[in-house]
Amino acid sequence: MTKTIFTNILGCFVIDDNKGIIEQKLFADYAAYSQREDVEKAFRAKHPKALPFPEENFPTILALFADQRYFSLFHERNIELTKAALKAAVSDDDFIFQTISTLKDLDKICNMLAKRLREWYDLYAPEVVRGIESHAQFVAAVLERQKSADSFGADLAETDVAEMQELARKIQGLSALQEQQEAYLESVMKKHCPNLLAVAGAKIGAQLLDHAKGLKRLALLPASTIQLLGAEKALFRHMTTGSRSPKYGLLYQHPLVQKARPSERGKVARMLADKLSLCARLDFFKGGLHGKEYLQELEKKLAANTLQKQKKKRVPKP
Amino acid sequence: MSPNARIGARRGERRTNGRGQARRPNKDEQKKEGGNFGRTEQSRLPEQQKEWSMQPHHVFELYQKGRHLFTKNLLPGKAPFAEQLVRDKGEEYRQMDPRRSKLSALVHKGCTNVGIRTGNIVLYLGVSHGYTASFVSDMIGPDGLLFGIDPAPRVMRDFVFLAEERKNMAPMLADANHPEEYISRVCLADVVYQDIAQRNQAEIFIKNCQLFLKKDGYGLLAVKARSIDVTKRPKVLFEDVRRQLEKVFTVIDFRILEPEQRDHCMIVVKK
Repeated sequence: MTKTIFTNILGCFVIDDNKGIIEQKLFADYAAYSQREDVEKAFRAKHPKALPFPEENFPTILALFADQRYFSLFHERNIELTKAALKAAVSDDDFIFQTISTLKDLDKICNMLAKRLREWYDLYAPEVVRGIESHAQFVAAVLERQKSADSFGADLAETDVAEMQELARKIQGLSALQEQQEAYLESVMKKHCPNLLAVAGAKIGAQLLDHAKGLKRLALLPASTIQLLGAEKALFRHMTTGSRSPKYGLLYQHPLVQKARPSERGKVARMLADKLSLCARLDFFKGGLHGKEYLQELEKKLAANTLQKQKKKRVPKP
Repeated sequence: MSPNARIGARRGERRTNGRGQARRPNKDEQKKEGGNFGRTEQSRLPEQQKEWSMQPHHVFELYQKGRHLFTKNLLPGKAPFAEQLVRDKGEEYRQMDPRRSKLSALVHKGCTNVGIRTGNIVLYLGVSHGYTASFVSDMIGPDGLLFGIDPAPRVMRDFVFLAEERKNMAPMLADANHPEEYISRVCLADVVYQDIAQRNQAEIFIKNCQLFLKKDGYGLLAVKARSIDVTKRPKVLFEDVRRQLEKVFTVIDFRILEPEQRDHCMIVVKK
């Protein structure tokens, strides 16, 4: 005859091998549950011979609670616990995910609206629409009403032009928001993952985090996986059909990869991924700031590498 | 999940694998699906007219009307996933979509016993937004209990709202790979249902069944071939999983869920 103690979200129970539950204390509410260790201690003092419940017998104890009178308690307590867990589950990672997604959406929306404004303004001043290539400058021009006297655009009523200018104002507001969000993203990343920020930059770093679903997972990923984040489609096509494997995913946008010669880009992406993997680990395990060193190291290596290649090319053929 | 999917996923929409498996058939398609008998024939043949009234399905706790599957609505008047509500003889029924729910697809494929009865305790691993779970909650009724487990906060927020309405559901933010995390929050279950996208999904299922499933209880495992290995043929993987389960349990049903669910199969076991 051995006694054991088992605690779950319902209460604390002393169980006898033969008799079942011999003593119990149900938790009245969530506050009582959070002080469960005190109850357990009290029980242990009362039953000094009692052991913690053996793991191999879990099904037998769980069967004791498969009773309808406990159902509403299970429902309430689990909802409370889940709500608390959800509250605690929000981290800096989530801010980064949301900001980078917002930035992407804003970029799309700004472009779309600017294009629409160009179509619209074309009726009024076609020279302005074609003369200015940058969307931002064009929107500013609309607000200033740069229409030359000899324009062949229609002479519109003041109210019609005012509507176009209203749209231009909104577009300017959205691009201001975009800049503000970029600054915010950088400030969050500076706090959360400074090394990653230093090597990858805010946008690529945030996209890497998003693809890896958080800093923890990014830190645990091998460098070869980081190299191919964002190239999943090509990778799976390579694995299923045996086509050529991708060399880079998101890292393609990185200035170092962009600067490299096309034949070198795979190598650069690999070296960069190595350093990024180190950075993610430094950030996750709070290791200190080495991001800038890594970036300089990479730049140096790459500069030396390209020189070597050029020298080889210059050797005249015999 | 892509960032857009995170924002774009409306309440009640399951994550799709990019092939649009969660699409609901529109009204015209629904008519076509159930349209074995036209309206004129219906008026001519009284015995076939019976097919068009709500009838108990041969699977317990389910109902059918034409080819569509229904459960009796636990909370009449409420349709949390914008599904079709049908009234018949004073009762309200909710329609299950086989393209969104693997349980529904399993019954569509001809499974005769899914093991879920009124008053059962169900452990549901991988509830997500709770689409299938809401129908299981209908099936077990107010006297049953469903433990819903998912590790993702985004979908769990949806599920908490569903569980607050339905008193027979208990949500848990936990990882099914670590049963010790939630062992103090559940009780012995009559049915274990698992639908999770993990490479070791069979292992997780066996582990959870051994801990939480009563003797003679039913286990339902939705096997996602694409999560196990993208390079291997799904059928080969299904057989592997089946053999793995047969070592521990009795397999009583095995259905491949094409075309409603791509690269998925469902295995029903008894402990």
